[in-house]
Amino acid sequence: MTRSRIALAWLPLHLFLIIAVCSRQLLWLIANGLTIIPFSGADVSAQTAKDISTTAGPKRTRAAKEALFAYLHSAGIEGAYGFFAPNVPENFKLAFEFRNADGSVEYDLPNVESRAAGLRLGSLLDKIGRSDSEQYRRILIRMLTSVAWENHPAAVSVHAVFGKLKLPSPVDYERGVRPAYEFIGAYDFERSADSNAR
Amino acid sequence: MVERLFPSCSDRWLSILRVGLALQLILYALSIRADWRYLLAGTGRGLVSRDLAEALLSLESAIIPRLGWIVAVGKRIGFSEATVLDLTWYGLALVSLFLLGGLFCRPAAIAAWFLHLCCVKGGGLVTYGVDALTTIGLFYLMLSPLPDRLSLDHLWHKKLSNPQSLGFWRRVLQLHLCVIYFFSGLIKALGGDWWNGINLWRALIRPPFDLIPADVLIRFKYIFPIAGIAIFLLEIGYSCFIWQRQTRQSWLIAILLMHLGIGLSMGMYLFAAVMIVLNLAAFGPGILWRENRPADAESCEAASLA
Repeated sequence: MTRSRIALAWLPLHLFLIIAVCSRQLLWLIANGLTIIPFSGADVSAQTAKDISTTAGPKRTRAAKEALFAYLHSAGIEGAYGFFAPNVPENFKLAFEFRNADGSVEYDLPNVESRAAGLRLGSLLDKIGRSDSEQYRRILIRMLTSVAWENHPAAVSVHAVFGKLKLPSPVDYERGVRPAYEFIGAYDFERSADSNAR
Repeated sequence: MVERLFPSCSDRWLSILRVGLALQLILYALSIRADWRYLLAGTGRGLVSRDLAEALLSLESAIIPRLGWIVAVGKRIGFSEATVLDLTWYGLALVSLFLLGGLFCRPAAIAAWFLHLCCVKGGGLVTYGVDALTTIGLFYLMLSPLPDRLSLDHLWHKKLSNPQSLGFWRRVLQLHLCVIYFFSGLIKALGGDWWNGINLWRALIRPPFDLIPADVLIRFKYIFPIAGIAIFLLEIGYSCFIWQRQTRQSWLIAILLMHLGIGLSMGMYLFAAVMIVLNLAAFGPGILWRENRPADAESCEAASLA
């Protein structure tokens, strides 16, 4: 009986959190003009982001927010369910150009062993590509570069190029347009001081 | 209301969820075995730093389970990070096997949820939808009234769960799936390119999901707008039509076929598998096949009422 009462009290709260997280994501998409609904409310989305921040506020409030976030993550309900929605995201790619001391050049890509890990690598590149923070993007690209560098011990510098794949529509494809990579940014790292990113 | 939330049901759905998620975890572990250390290592030793992912996680909450906790405990004992990562993989595989056989169901379910969550949060930068959905399934499995009648635990103890409690946790899973599909479909409907089929085309030709050559796909270009609209209508309608006696079977079969199609045409096998497992557990018994109410379930119900 007690268990049933606890379950009855928990369920509405749990469902409320699931719906709240999904609704927040939906409103964020609408506010940022990513849907067919004509609405622009960047201030609203900024305010929402500020509201959920756990880095500020009174200690008690912060503890409550931390507990809430821990619950959301533990239950797997911290994110919304917009898979390939509202639109299919761009596909991003990172390529390396390793330069040896003798002037020769070697090309490489970030790689993994299995297809399953390949999907995860693709997810990482998507996160890098979608990030608004140039600093965050640079940090992650530097990490990926330093891993790839291990396969090129003779290289003294590397030129990392980050780009996105522009996909044609079916009509354009029939006209002969093919998927093509579009330049987003380039990053140069030196062997001695690889923090000198351009 | 209470009757609807606590319907009496057999534990068939729980068996499907337990076995399905155990297989899912085994496939997850095997699929990235070769890259396990590479994906989950700390700064300077892997593809991307686990420490960075966990530092970002700490901005949200310091008490979310993560792999760093296990690595820290391992280091205190004297194990290297690589050893701890390997032990975590073996631990996950072992508890998945326990779960598969139904041996020590509850501790195995809790351990599977915890280890999987730690790996997902530790590898936060290299995760995608399948990880959250597996966490959801494991979270409900851990809380559900285990063991079920197909488990080894049941063979030994012969202890059965209260049918109302089984019904409640099945209902929770059902409601959660309805919310997932409703929002997934709604957000798709709000993206203009699902109406004209371009998004479906883009999803299929986008690496690494481009298993079918674009030259083959273009022959079916007239189907894309219909299929695009059908997908979001199927998802939005799920929360309504899965409950109607006349439509629930066809709706469930259509959703299962959609996930099968995604798995085969885009190579998202794990994603397709976890969605099929969750759907079969939530709605399979009683819709796809008759839900038997064995005598001992009824006696258990009678006992609980008494």
